[in-house]
Amino acid sequence: MTTPIASARRDERARRWRRPTLWLRLGVLALFVLVPVAVPSFQATDLAIKIALFGALVASYDVVIGYTGIVSFGHAMFFGFGAYSVALAVGRFGAPTYGHLLLGFGIAVLLSALVATLIGAFSLRVKLIFFAMITLAFAEFAGILAVQWSALSGGEDGLSPKMPGLFAVGWEGGRVLGVPLTGKLVTYYVVLAACAALFLVMARFVASPLGRALQAIRDNELRAEALGVPTFTLQIVSSSFASVVATIVGGCYVMWVRYVNPESALGVPLMLDVLLMVIIGGIGTLWGSVIGAAVLLTARLLLPDLRGLGTLLGGSEIAQRLTERWLLVFGVLFVLVVFFFPKGVLGTTRDALARRRRPA
Amino acid sequence: MKRAAPVLIVLALALLPLLGMEPRVYLTLTVAGLAMGMLIFLVASGLTLIFGLMDVLNFAHGALFSWGAYAGFGAVLLLDRRAGWIESPSVALNALALLAAVAAAALVALVLGVALERVIVRPVYGQHMFQILITLGASIVLEELIRIVWGPNDQVMPVPISFQGSWDLLDVIVLRVPVVAIGLGLAVYVGLQLLLHRTRVGLIVRAGVESGEMVQVMGHNIYRYFTAVFALGSALAAVGGLMWAIFRQSVSPGMGGEQLIFAFIVVIIGGLGSVTGSLIGALMVGLSYNYVAFLLPKAALGVNMALMVLVLLVRPTGLFGASR
Repeated sequence: MTTPIASARRDERARRWRRPTLWLRLGVLALFVLVPVAVPSFQATDLAIKIALFGALVASYDVVIGYTGIVSFGHAMFFGFGAYSVALAVGRFGAPTYGHLLLGFGIAVLLSALVATLIGAFSLRVKLIFFAMITLAFAEFAGILAVQWSALSGGEDGLSPKMPGLFAVGWEGGRVLGVPLTGKLVTYYVVLAACAALFLVMARFVASPLGRALQAIRDNELRAEALGVPTFTLQIVSSSFASVVATIVGGCYVMWVRYVNPESALGVPLMLDVLLMVIIGGIGTLWGSVIGAAVLLTARLLLPDLRGLGTLLGGSEIAQRLTERWLLVFGVLFVLVVFFFPKGVLGTTRDALARRRRPA
Repeated sequence: MKRAAPVLIVLALALLPLLGMEPRVYLTLTVAGLAMGMLIFLVASGLTLIFGLMDVLNFAHGALFSWGAYAGFGAVLLLDRRAGWIESPSVALNALALLAAVAAAALVALVLGVALERVIVRPVYGQHMFQILITLGASIVLEELIRIVWGPNDQVMPVPISFQGSWDLLDVIVLRVPVVAIGLGLAVYVGLQLLLHRTRVGLIVRAGVESGEMVQVMGHNIYRYFTAVFALGSALAAVGGLMWAIFRQSVSPGMGGEQLIFAFIVVIIGGLGSVTGSLIGALMVGLSYNYVAFLLPKAALGVNMALMVLVLLVRPTGLFGASR
């Protein structure tokens, strides 16, 4: 006997290869693969891989904020754990090897899982909103620790580790199909593959029965609990899972940038960026995070060029400061987006498409 | 007995460091800790009203703190240039200048608070995630506005002559600004308690928090009261910011962000919605920070976190928090 759910699943599977969004996603992935070959400028390659990295980071944040409904301000901290752990493991023990790289990732994942579980265990117990503030306090503490404990973390200056083997700056592998194979290029593809894999894992996670339960908690915690969903445990599982993903992304980030300091990898400013990206892309859409990351990172790259506008506006001091403070523009934009497009780019598009398909 | 327990814990905590230091040092540190606690309380009390009572997660509180500091800074600068009240040796003129600065800070924050509540907070009552996001956006805007109006760099805050320096009471060094801060903090505490528990307005606000609809039915416009409470909380943040600026003798656009975390920690320790709780919490944070900074300078950074974790482990709703 086939249950309605089973037949719905069968229909879904039959339509799998005809869904336009699947081809859209594959197309985006192909674009990322082609960038370093087609556009040889370093700036474009750097932007592309950072969009992939931040897309994955923001998606992992979306698992917490969008799919589970927990607001965390410590997510950047876990990114920092990964970044610092890999940088330390590779940079501190003489000549770097692949073993050190793996060790860095391993330690980081264990540490993040442990810390995330601990924080969740004592702060999710009370009230969800406490979680936001407690994680904020923890993130602040981690930032201060990284600055103060300079013997280990390099303080404000940060660390710039050398990568082993294939990932080293100087590595050359001849030419393949006319494209010079360098350490940078290998790193690009490895990091891109890691990001794509993380995306798949996360998509699987939120679509699993566990993910469904998480969304039930988000929509109505009391009802979910009444239906027998172990809300407290699942919330911890979700936040730990997302933290571990963020940690892995942090490690990959260091592999690409080869540099880590408290401001870029650990601090509250990074957290703000992630929040902006998830809002722009659309909370609870997962794939929207790539859009959010692309918009913000591209804007950040291009906006400083707008500083010249200050001279056009009469060159007065106030006008000068006005254009220098592009964060102001961003803040206003952010408030407007939250007000008028609370579902972000992807969420709004999905709604519009759904309305066109089924006119009410 | 049960209500007295937190007070006893604070007292025990306060006397513990005596084991590790001379009494004279201890007294100096205690006064400094009390002053710091009171300064934190000024900020946290505003947050208690907004977050604890009205259940609005206001991340713009830190920006209001900075705005208060800068408004007072502007007023003091103006008075100094036009009338020379800051440099004047007369205590009365100095005190007047300080009052003017406090008034300027409170006024600016009242206006900002009303605007914030009306425009961006009112549509999102009861939706925590949107409150966080939208007040965060507002705080970015407010902080950037400070940078545009006053410039992005730290500046020196002029302090009226009579309030500079310190008194030396029996070898215990007592800075003057902290004494003013302690006085102000106590006044705010007493004022808030009276307002909330002894007046009709306080009654309506507390009832409105429990059930806004019911209070509406009784013929009171609860939204107007909420606007007022939000504005009052903003003004308290601003006065706290001004006192902090005078204490540190400097202002910077980002000063509010750091204090916001302190204030949140204090409100969590004290328990949501309890003014007494945030007073005790603030004093605990201030005192323990000063003691630990003297005994183990490296550990001072983590002591607030440790305190919060400890309190939450023992009492998940905070020291004075009602379990709801």
